Amino acid sequence: MSDLDRQIEQLKRCEPLKESEVKALCLKAIEILVEESNVQRVDAPVTICGDIHGQFYDMKELFKVGGDCPKTNYLFLGDFVDRGFYSVETFLLLLALKVRYPDRITLIRGNHESRQITQVYGFYDECLRKYGSVNVWRYCTDIFDYLSLSALIENKIFSVHGGLSPAITTLDQIRTIDRKQEVPHDGAMCDLLWSDPEDIVDGWGLSPRGAGFLFGGSVVSSFNHTNNIDYICRAHQLVMEGYKWMFNNQIVTVWSAPNYCYRCGNVAAILELDGNLNKQFRVFEAAPQDSRGAPAKKPAPDYFL
Amino acid sequence: MELEVDENDLKAAGAEIFVDGGRRGIRIHGWLIESRRNSILNSSNVQEWEKKLVTSHLPEMVFGENALILKHLSSGTKIHFNAFDALCGWKQEALPPVEVPAAAKWKFRSKPFEEIILDYDYTFTTPYCGSGAIEIHKDLISEQTGDLRWEDCKEQIDLVALASKEPILFYDEVVLYEDELADNGVSLLTVKVRVMPSSWFLLLQFWLRVDGVLIRLRETRMHCVFGGSTNPVVLRESCWRESTFQALSAKGHPFDSAAYNDPNIISQKLPIVKRATQKLVFSS
Repeated sequence: MSDLDRQIEQLKRCEPLKESEVKALCLKAIEILVEESNVQRVDAPVTICGDIHGQFYDMKELFKVGGDCPKTNYLFLGDFVDRGFYSVETFLLLLALKVRYPDRITLIRGNHESRQITQVYGFYDECLRKYGSVNVWRYCTDIFDYLSLSALIENKIFSVHGGLSPAITTLDQIRTIDRKQEVPHDGAMCDLLWSDPEDIVDGWGLSPRGAGFLFGGSVVSSFNHTNNIDYICRAHQLVMEGYKWMFNNQIVTVWSAPNYCYRCGNVAAILELDGNLNKQFRVFEAAPQDSRGAPAKKPAPDYFL
Repeated sequence: MELEVDENDLKAAGAEIFVDGGRRGIRIHGWLIESRRNSILNSSNVQEWEKKLVTSHLPEMVFGENALILKHLSSGTKIHFNAFDALCGWKQEALPPVEVPAAAKWKFRSKPFEEIILDYDYTFTTPYCGSGAIEIHKDLISEQTGDLRWEDCKEQIDLVALASKEPILFYDEVVLYEDELADNGVSLLTVKVRVMPSSWFLLLQFWLRVDGVLIRLRETRMHCVFGGSTNPVVLRESCWRESTFQALSAKGHPFDSAAYNDPNIISQKLPIVKRATQKLVFSS
């Protein structure tokens, strides 16, 4: 058994790698990821997965439902880290699978795959807690810069973490982005990772936060028409039912973190496409409590004031 | 939040715990205190709520069936907490939107033709401090016969007494709604309760952090000391605190958002903008 296979087995048990192993794994991953296009070509059959957010044991449920990699070909739409308890193990397992089976798993970047966001929403703290230093966080966030921005399945299904950008009309425009950087606060790359479809606008909308685009049905229609694609598949937003179509089936949101943040009670979904691009959504629930390793400790009575 | 309670403590206090599906509670000194915890609203319920609230935006996670209910059986007094009433408060207050730091840069971005700028309060800030009613039970049917009356008062909640480590007979924390502000911070409305042999105490907390911009904490505490046969005394204290990140860092506090994850730790650093104590008037 090779070192890498052994590491994959170890990660599947939710045991993190040594810091030196992470470093070596990341160096290998960069060699693979640097070759990928901003619009990475993906062949069908493929199974598309949305946000995971460090919910390692729920991702194991996902693999139970969708089948193991490399037998199943996977496309993950980003947001592997933050919020959940096991961002380190989750991301490293996906990355190890990528290095071991580069043609059977595609990882694209979500808005949480960023230095700034991970410092606020959990991944940074988790690395510090589990390794006693931030080196692993550094290695991982350096990898984030190499992750592709989108994928194109059989030239027919465009996949991205967030959504569209007013600066982007054609896929070729995405191909020209220099992606090897921290996610910027504005511009096309930012929009692809951050924007959301919105029912109440038809064209473009601006979030009340003053930053962040919203796009309506006519924007999606014209993008799909221009680029000759059937529909867009994206993640980024929690959907109670695991997936949600909008604008007459021109865009679908896929969400793969069941019982999000361990309290929402939502189901999750993955989208399976066969060789003819026939769709099947597989809906699944969170891992049962007793399969999560050590059971959650009962909290002490809280004498809040 | 399960909690092992000593049976002897319960007996000594004349209290009884009940559990029924998603409902848990305690009967003690003529009060019935119950918490309900469930999933977030599904898509069709979200649509229904949007219609009822006349809005097209709700928090990402609305725990629509969650509740904390405290009933004083002999007087029919019912104090309760739920997401719907809290969101009614948000709709009414309708604060102007808070701009995130990136907004400054976005002003110079070339804008798509005919862009619509949404302008609802995405922070879901609410003045909510609980719901109430007088409910009379007759032949298994409960009928609402009036509202609760709160009067300003000089008394304060006795925090010293509350700091004593009396056994906690019942404890729960219920989330009413939560939004991640699309990864620009957090908006969270929760209520927690603890019931001891001598009193019950609860804290309703609206916690908002817009990363790099603003922190807002609106808290309502209620305390009821179990009395003898007379009507109980319920005190309600509301305290609103708020500060910008800029003001915090000017006072030497950190500027990075990660330093402000726990409202209970930082609340003292936030200046008070509004404070009031009231007493519940029992009509007998």
